[in-house]
Amino acid sequence: MTFLSAPFFLFFPVVVLGYHLLPRGYKAPWLLLASWFFYLCAGPEYAPFLLFAILLSYGAGRLLEGGRRRWAVAGTIVLCAGLLFVFKYLNFACSLAAGALAALGLSVSAPVFHLLLPAGISFYLFEAMGYVIDVYRGKVPAQRSLLRHALFLSFFPQLLSGPIARAPQLIPQLEKLPPVTWDGLREGLFRFLWGAFKKMVLADRLAILVQTVFAAPGDFGRLQVALAAVAFSLQIYCDFSAYSDMAIGAARAMGFTLTENFRAPYLARTIQEFWRRWHISLSTWFRDYLYFPLGGSRRGKVRTWVNVLIVFAISGLWHGAGLTYLAWGLLNGAYQVAGSITAPVRKRLRGAVGLKEDSFLTVWLQRGITFVLATGAWVFFQASSLDLAGQMYAGLFAGPAWVFTSMGLDRWDLLVAAAGLLLLFWVDLLEEKKPLPERWRALPLPARWAAALALLLAAAVFGCYGPGYDAQSFIYFQY
Amino acid sequence: MAKHRMLRRVCAAVLFLALAAALLALAGQVLRPPQVSYGSTWRAYRAEPEDTIDVLYFGSSYAYCDFDPVEIYRHSGLTGYVMGGSEQTMAITYWYLREALETQSPQAVVIEPTGVFFEKYQQYTQTNLVYMPVSLNKLGAVFTAAEPELRLGLLCDLWFYHNRWKELTWEAVQEALAPAEPDTRKGFTGVVGTAAELTLTRNPRPVSEAQYEENLQWLLRALALCEERGIKAVLLVNPTYSQCSPEQYRQLEGDVAQAAPEARFYNWADGFEALGLIPAEHLYDGGHLNRAGAAVYAGSVAALLTEDVGLAPMEQTAEHAAAWQAAVADRDRAQTGE
Repeated sequence: MTFLSAPFFLFFPVVVLGYHLLPRGYKAPWLLLASWFFYLCAGPEYAPFLLFAILLSYGAGRLLEGGRRRWAVAGTIVLCAGLLFVFKYLNFACSLAAGALAALGLSVSAPVFHLLLPAGISFYLFEAMGYVIDVYRGKVPAQRSLLRHALFLSFFPQLLSGPIARAPQLIPQLEKLPPVTWDGLREGLFRFLWGAFKKMVLADRLAILVQTVFAAPGDFGRLQVALAAVAFSLQIYCDFSAYSDMAIGAARAMGFTLTENFRAPYLARTIQEFWRRWHISLSTWFRDYLYFPLGGSRRGKVRTWVNVLIVFAISGLWHGAGLTYLAWGLLNGAYQVAGSITAPVRKRLRGAVGLKEDSFLTVWLQRGITFVLATGAWVFFQASSLDLAGQMYAGLFAGPAWVFTSMGLDRWDLLVAAAGLLLLFWVDLLEEKKPLPERWRALPLPARWAAALALLLAAAVFGCYGPGYDAQSFIYFQY
Repeated sequence: MAKHRMLRRVCAAVLFLALAAALLALAGQVLRPPQVSYGSTWRAYRAEPEDTIDVLYFGSSYAYCDFDPVEIYRHSGLTGYVMGGSEQTMAITYWYLREALETQSPQAVVIEPTGVFFEKYQQYTQTNLVYMPVSLNKLGAVFTAAEPELRLGLLCDLWFYHNRWKELTWEAVQEALAPAEPDTRKGFTGVVGTAAELTLTRNPRPVSEAQYEENLQWLLRALALCEERGIKAVLLVNPTYSQCSPEQYRQLEGDVAQAAPEARFYNWADGFEALGLIPAEHLYDGGHLNRAGAAVYAGSVAALLTEDVGLAPMEQTAEHAAAWQAAVADRDRAQTGE
């Protein structure tokens, strides 16, 4: 049951109504029941893993109540990371080991384990580890109610693909159980609708072009390969931010506030800023639980750069067990290191050509460069192998400019995609000052209704769905 | 005060949802391709003046290619309409009948019963059901006669047709939004041409006993509905070269006679000569009559309805009578190619 499936449109109103109408004592059990039902719909075989994460982190939290037992934290991290390693990285590690041995002249065929990858495991295991570390650090008291702790890890809007919840932010809300309010309901549903529009009209439409060109970059011209790379940058933004909008919107409709996950990332002026705006819940998780413990920026420049590279390498691998993800992570880390090294030179250069720090031209030039850099890195992310990524890069610089062959989208699709992206760009600019749902709520009633109905109609008519269409699942579902 | 505010909000939410549903339904109507032939012509059917039809015809393409209500009217004065559908299963026939009776009160219902030997789901469920007017009958059909994977689209046209926005023209939008007009073909689809080669087959349709039983129950429900409404029910197997086996026809006749003795059963599958039909001239293919064949066949159907079944044309207003005469004139023009 995904957010954009018919069962969810039956499930969600029932959950909201039940949450609203039930007496206070029944609200949390109701939400937990709903969340577990939601998770069971993803596959009942995944349930034991979620239960294990709940019990493990709950137990560790309770142990830490009695004192700063470092081993409890370490044990939780080892078990969670071990679980993640076995189910997500074991085959990758074996193939790497076999490759390394082969390079040494030892021919070993890597075993292939047919293991299931429980839905959302990367997200809820990170939440569990974060919780235990926060209890250890005294940022949050250990949760005594198993029910509430289970709800913290299982809360359905964020369960499958985040945002990765942080205990100090979500647990107080689960204790307070905020009421369903008229404003929250409207704002939440509007945000959900905006997410649906981004996913159905933009992400899934761009995906067709991306998949066509990435499948055989050699069949296309330089401009088409560049277009596909740009399209993937936009697709993954529309796709993942759409999911986050729907998750945050669904929670907001019930009165809960989840961590924001995106803040117009392509308006960032540096890669460093980009990562403060992209997948914020993951970036801050790595910052708080990995980068800072490694020493952060307190141990000199070189150590800072090494820490950045470590964090981004792990972040890359978090996204997928593959060398392309590692390359993507390391490239982003390298951008930051290079950015830090070249910052004084670039500043001097801007001064020399008379570009003021915050002038319109400087800002947009920096945004453009950041977008190009991010897009260059996304090529690794989307490519199924380093070889294919190499072909994409080669395709950017070699061959004809354009090859007259179908890229999967006709001119009408391209027109809709362009119009939708313009709208997204405009909304991102607006959101720099005030969130979209708040702006929407401030509109007079006819404009509010017109905006909501227009979005609904646009998603229903121009969206990519229905029979004969190979529905794209959310990209981040696989992590 | 709080109660009043709550009520206002609930009303606003309901109004918004109604508006959204109406907007989506309207978009679905505009984007759905028009259906003017090959059965399921619900839009034109609903445009017929209420309670002006003497006979309703149901069944698969064997019905909408073979029963020509305009020619039957020419012979008998009986007004009629074919609410057939491609490979219409008996379950769909039942729901079609229920829905058709919402606006018409015919004297007789004629069902071409080959659908009793169909599988539970045939190939054209989508076309058969998507054009049904929004109603409880449609809901019934969707949940009892359609493949589960089609249900969402059958409940929301946009699921199937939203992608047609690229081929939409202004004329098509205007046509979709304009009020429906009665169609002079009255649900009939006249196919032109003759089969190059004809082979008479009497092969048993490969339907399981359980499926036959289920189909028969739907047919019996339709017959019971006719009985309940005082409508004469006629099961008429049309002349065809792609016949079911004689045993299957006999089994059906026997089962119907036992369970619904008031229904009349006629097997004219082999009756070409007696009906004045020449297979080489009047069959479009092994299964269906062509337009000329349907015109010839109409005489026999008209005679059956007036003489055997005992129907007499209902009194029509001058306006309705003129409309039917115009339909006959239209047909003449079409046949003479003017």
